[in-house]
Amino acid sequence: MIGLDYVANAVVSGILIGSVYSLVGMGLALIWGIMDVINFAQGDYMMLGAFVTYWAFTLAGVDPLLSVPLSFLVTFALGVLTQRVVIERVLDAPMVSQITATFAVLLMIRYGAEAAFGPYTKRIYVTYADVIYRFGTISLQLPRLIAFFVSLGVAVAFYVFLKTTYTGVALRAVSQNRMAAYLMGINVRKMYWIAFGIGVGISAVGGTLVATFLPIHPEMGGFYALIAFIVVVFGGFGSVFGAYISGIIIGVTESVSALFISPSLKDVVAFLLFIAIILVKPTGLFGTEQR
Amino acid sequence: MLQFIKEGLRDRNGQYFAIVAAVMLVAPLIFWKLDLPFAANAMLLCLMFSIMAMAWNLLEGYTGQLSFGHAVFFGVGAYTTMILMLYYRVTPWVGIFVGGLVAALVGLALGVPLFRLRSHWFALATIAVGEIFKLIFISWDYVGGSAGLQSPIVPEEQKLYYLQYAGSYVYIYLALGLLGLELLIMYPLVKSRIGYYLQAIREDEDAAMSLGINPFKYKMVAMFFSALFTGIGGGIYTVRFRFVDPFAVFDLISVSVYITIAGILGGIYSFIGPIVGSFVFVPISEYVRVYIVSRFPRFYGLHVFVLGVILLAISLLAPEGIMGWLEKKGYLRKREETGEVRKE
Repeated sequence: MIGLDYVANAVVSGILIGSVYSLVGMGLALIWGIMDVINFAQGDYMMLGAFVTYWAFTLAGVDPLLSVPLSFLVTFALGVLTQRVVIERVLDAPMVSQITATFAVLLMIRYGAEAAFGPYTKRIYVTYADVIYRFGTISLQLPRLIAFFVSLGVAVAFYVFLKTTYTGVALRAVSQNRMAAYLMGINVRKMYWIAFGIGVGISAVGGTLVATFLPIHPEMGGFYALIAFIVVVFGGFGSVFGAYISGIIIGVTESVSALFISPSLKDVVAFLLFIAIILVKPTGLFGTEQR
Repeated sequence: MLQFIKEGLRDRNGQYFAIVAAVMLVAPLIFWKLDLPFAANAMLLCLMFSIMAMAWNLLEGYTGQLSFGHAVFFGVGAYTTMILMLYYRVTPWVGIFVGGLVAALVGLALGVPLFRLRSHWFALATIAVGEIFKLIFISWDYVGGSAGLQSPIVPEEQKLYYLQYAGSYVYIYLALGLLGLELLIMYPLVKSRIGYYLQAIREDEDAAMSLGINPFKYKMVAMFFSALFTGIGGGIYTVRFRFVDPFAVFDLISVSVYITIAGILGGIYSFIGPIVGSFVFVPISEYVRVYIVSRFPRFYGLHVFVLGVILLAISLLAPEGIMGWLEKKGYLRKREETGEVRKE
């Protein structure tokens, strides 16, 4: 019998890792919702964020937490470049061209990074890595706790950005109706650049946070991209804030189910859940909306 | 028969086909005489990916179902051939076909839920299915778990029974034979009524349905043949490399995405496009892998990066693939089966 304290611990650690899944999922949901493009390379921008942090830490001794804005800005710039060079040209192309184009970006980023950085697992050793707080039977690792609060902060900042700034309102307008937004004088093309940049930038922050407590590898994006898809589909297609909540739910589900079934099978549960959700609503979670 | 061949040779396409077939049959002999193991291996992989990409294209190019899960059929075919050989001493001459059939049955079983999904939802679900199969095989002890299965070295007199030969030379003929078999089955299939039904489903599923075509039924037919030949490709992998493990055969990138690249590069609206695509991308990737990555392991991943560049270029510059591009430029006669490029 599994004791209640194990379950409580699993729930807490699920919430903490889930907050990272949320960030990756939010980025994917933003791009998907605004441009109706599925970015298969989402997890690899996250990996880039992790490596920006790693190099800043290794070469210049920058604390991982201070490199959050740095990793956001670097991936933002790369995201705008990707949008400009690749995504823009396939926005009105057949679905298969869109998918293969983002898959090509995935291959280039993931394996380009692998060729450049070497196929090795890397790790950041921060001084506070082993600080553990105990509350009764629940123990919390400091870097994971920090990751949770940073993730929450990023999500709140993003919410405020979408609700209060001109750019945020314009982004929402473009997502609701591209043509109407265009007629209202919004520069749709520029909004798409910003959307893609912010989308991958937010995921990169997730990468930075992961780098403080888990080993990083150029191919790590594959796993997180699959998680991000589950998060987005679960939270409601195109809904950024649904994605945040569902990221945490997925994290908890994953770490609690790991108590009951073999760890290697716990992801099977997540993938089966994913297929079940899209089967229940065959046309996608927004009913009749179809492309 | 002779009459048929004579008639075929009068046709321009038939002449091209005869020339290509002759070159393919002679090439392994030349590689063997000159001792070019790299070329032979690359040619075998080209043929293996041709078989699978053509099978994949029956689903994507003809039926409009973009699958990123063909590693499932490849892996099931590879494992079935290996298990029959290792545990039941069944010759791979039979095992390869049994592997194909098992893969086809798996395909049908997966088709029941998956064909309820459309466009990108189908693609996403096939990725998830591929990961599920990988994870299950990793934790399944009967099939060797994460260590995989390896076939033992057999004595000289059983080489033919167990199909164990040094190098790729003999396997090229096996793959050529199986590709020939695939062409013999696929070509009549896509030229038949069913082929046109599939294209109707690709262009507009609802319109096809309103004309009395049952999309689910014909998608299942496409899935059966697609999975069958992808499974056979897995069988070739098993006899050639004598080692299967879940990380290699169920890999999203190096199996499912490679097959997709072959299809997209060659042109998905062309019958032979996937073969052309395989013969273009495999040699490039293998060259980089063998001559750069193997010598400098630090640059592991470079061969896949190169594929990314190729895939990006083809997606942006010529989404209709090499065959479609050649046709647009007027180098090829227009195919009868070409529809308009699909807009969804």
